[in-house]
Amino acid sequence: MEKEKNNEELICFRCQIPLVLEKTFFNYLDHTFFTDIPTCPKCKQKYIPESLVKGRMAEVEKELEDK
Amino acid sequence: MREFQKLLQQDCLRDEPPFCASACPFNLDIRDFISKTQRGSFSTAFRLYQNTVGFPEIVAQICPAYCQNVCIRQERDESIALKKLEQASIAYTKNKRPNRYHLPKKRQKVAIIGAGLAGLGCALRLTARKYEVVIYEKTGQIGGGLKDLMTEEEYLPLIEEQFIHDKYQLYLNQRIETLDELEADAIFIATGQSGDHFGFENREGATEKKGVFFFGGQHPVEKLASGLSMAAAIEGYLKSDVMRDPVKPEPTRLKMDPESFPIQEPQINLTENAILTQEEAIAEAKRCLKCQCDACLRHCDLMKFYGKAPKRIEEEVEITIHPGTLDGDGTVATRLIATCNHCDVCKIVCPQGIDTGLFLLQSHRAMEEKGAMPWVFHEFWLRDMEFSNSEDAKIYSLAPGSTKANFMYVPGCRLGGSNPEYVKASYDYLLKEEKDTSLLLSCCGAPALWAGDIPLFDSVLADIKEAWQSFGQPQAIFACSTCQRIFKDHLPEIEGLSLYEFMDAKNFEPAGQVKEQLCVFDPCQAAGHAEMQKAVRNLAAKTGLIMEEKDDVIKCCGWGGQVQIANPRYFDGVVKSRSADSDLGFLTYCANCRDVFNADNKEAHHLLDLLFNLNIDEENKLKRRKTPGPALNRLHRRTLKRDLLEQFFGERWEMKKRNLKLYISDQLKKKLDKEMILPEDLEEVITQAENSGAKVVHSDGAFSAYLIIGQMTYWVKYRIKDDGFLLENAYCHRMSIGD
Ligand code: SF4
Ligand code: SF4
Ligand code: SF4
Ligand SMILES: [Zn+2]
Repeated sequence: MEKEKNNEELICFRCQIPLVLEKTFFNYLDHTFFTDIPTCPKCKQKYIPESLVKGRMAEVEKELEDK
Repeated sequence: MREFQKLLQQDCLRDEPPFCASACPFNLDIRDFISKTQRGSFSTAFRLYQNTVGFPEIVAQICPAYCQNVCIRQERDESIALKKLEQASIAYTKNKRPNRYHLPKKRQKVAIIGAGLAGLGCALRLTARKYEVVIYEKTGQIGGGLKDLMTEEEYLPLIEEQFIHDKYQLYLNQRIETLDELEADAIFIATGQSGDHFGFENREGATEKKGVFFFGGQHPVEKLASGLSMAAAIEGYLKSDVMRDPVKPEPTRLKMDPESFPIQEPQINLTENAILTQEEAIAEAKRCLKCQCDACLRHCDLMKFYGKAPKRIEEEVEITIHPGTLDGDGTVATRLIATCNHCDVCKIVCPQGIDTGLFLLQSHRAMEEKGAMPWVFHEFWLRDMEFSNSEDAKIYSLAPGSTKANFMYVPGCRLGGSNPEYVKASYDYLLKEEKDTSLLLSCCGAPALWAGDIPLFDSVLADIKEAWQSFGQPQAIFACSTCQRIFKDHLPEIEGLSLYEFMDAKNFEPAGQVKEQLCVFDPCQAAGHAEMQKAVRNLAAKTGLIMEEKDDVIKCCGWGGQVQIANPRYFDGVVKSRSADSDLGFLTYCANCRDVFNADNKEAHHLLDLLFNLNIDEENKLKRRKTPGPALNRLHRRTLKRDLLEQFFGERWEMKKRNLKLYISDQLKKKLDKEMILPEDLEEVITQAENSGAKVVHSDGAFSAYLIIGQMTYWVKYRIKDDGFLLENAYCHRMSIGD
């Protein structure tokens, strides 16, 4: 819908501290993989931008469905 | 599960030879010959012909053209002039010398009795394989019966030419009295009908005496074919000491409908001796259908999309369900399995009635049972079914004020989702005709069946059956042909008929007239129901509608099987292809067909629009109505329940209160519809985030939060606005965030 702002500063609402990139695991159809995702260092709240969802993540999803 | 493989092996005609080739004594690969000719590659066509018939320039003159007697084209126009094409291949090939084979010389010797075409053909093959061959001929010339068809001056050089690389020994005027005189490892008796038969019965093939073979055929061409094929049987014997008959062309089981191809008269000079020009030959070859059973491939959208015939599909599906049992090319057919529309087209068009769709349904179920079918292909539809069958939308009730029921109206879930008026108007009508008509408003379970979730499907059926029994087992009236099909196959004890047949039988008079011309689009599930199709046309005609008929078998609009998420590209292609079937708008009697077409900007109207005057303007024109997106479709089902209960049963029904007030721009609404994201799911994301505080704050002050609903992860970006929330964006992903 809107342009993703790169390197936008995101704040965790509960902990009121900035999110930092952190290795995050994903699961789909019995497969696991990981990538770096903005994460609250304290409570681990995550944020995934739409560009990642529609880009690389959608690609991997499709690949796994065809496996 | 390998039953389908067996069925295909026995019944599928895909690998059957074309009519012409199975009548050809040489079993010439006519499809290949034609392909080469079509490309103008006369010399490769000639090579194929030469390698098959042995003496091409003789056969091309004397063959009675068995193929042309059986060519399917003659049922439409004219048989393909194969003989002329063979002559053309000779005329346009410069180097006609036979191929030379470099093989080691064999020690064994074969004696042939008779130098007619059978003996010569056998000798030609065996000498090329480097066996020592001796022919004994009782007369003073070679060629046998050939002399009645050609002069010796004509045929002798043509025979000689084929033996330029490998020679045989010939003894003319040498009559053989008994086989014992012959010193040979194998003997071929090729003496003709009137010649010596040495006490063997007149039967082509391996005789009861080891090493002795007997010719077959009447016409010299048939004898030649016999000799050529016998050479292979003789060589087989010499190598393995086993006596076998030669392989002969089997009669084909191929079936083709002459109506399935257009008339195309030949554009060539058909007089006996005229040789075709190259252009004529190519044009004539292009008339050939290269007959092969492709009825399913031509009609099934799935087979067309993947370019795969049932045998190939079976193999790939098998490997997908049982990986490791076979080594295939590793193609995984999961998505293919989930792409079937379950429209029955394959079964209907197959001359053998082979039901590939049923095989795919069973395979889908097997994959689901193993947990190998991606949940995302069906989760949306299963949740949608759950909604239809929940208190939010479902009504099971006897008619207002009734204690019994003769009829039970089954509108289905999608009809009211498309337009609640369809259900209200039709139920109103039914109550006026039959005041004891009970109502069964829910989803028939098709989504569970298509998803291969049989326990779930069974539970939906059980629920329906219980209601039907509590109503006193009335007859069902179906507005949706998918419901009707599901009941017929899985609840056969419930008898029923379509709403349209009911209305037609009751001589329904439509509320208004239309000044329109539409093309009738029968839904795929109506394919076997001639009565229903007729009733629909009768009813539509009463509105003044001018109807055009499609020139094709009944096919799916794309909706069947709910394949849209599993294979969006396929789905779009099917919708587009159906839309192109007519320039006119469609008249249909399935809410899904109506909605699928309108969503793709193809005009389509439901018969009920016409009959109940639902979308007709003052000038008797039908109004276009947009397809409700997933959110509106749900809302329709909610309001339908409320309105039906109020209007017919005098009950007040409170629709479930929405948790939150959401402000969504039209642009975002469109996106959500397209991505099949329901605002009510987004409400849950926000509620959860607001309650727990689990959200992030963007630099512009907006929040983002996520929640897994079902197995899908939904993200929302939003702000607090007045008494509610302003949605800025939403999206979802299939993979889940691990811990
Ligand atoms: S149309 Fe072609 S392939 Fe079919 S029977 Fe005739 S010659 Fe053979
Ligand atoms: S049911 Fe329809 S889509 Fe499925 S294989 Fe048969 S023809 Fe193709
Ligand atoms: S229509 Fe298809 S499945 Fe049926 S016989 Fe022909 S090739 Fe085989
Ligand atoms: Zn935090």
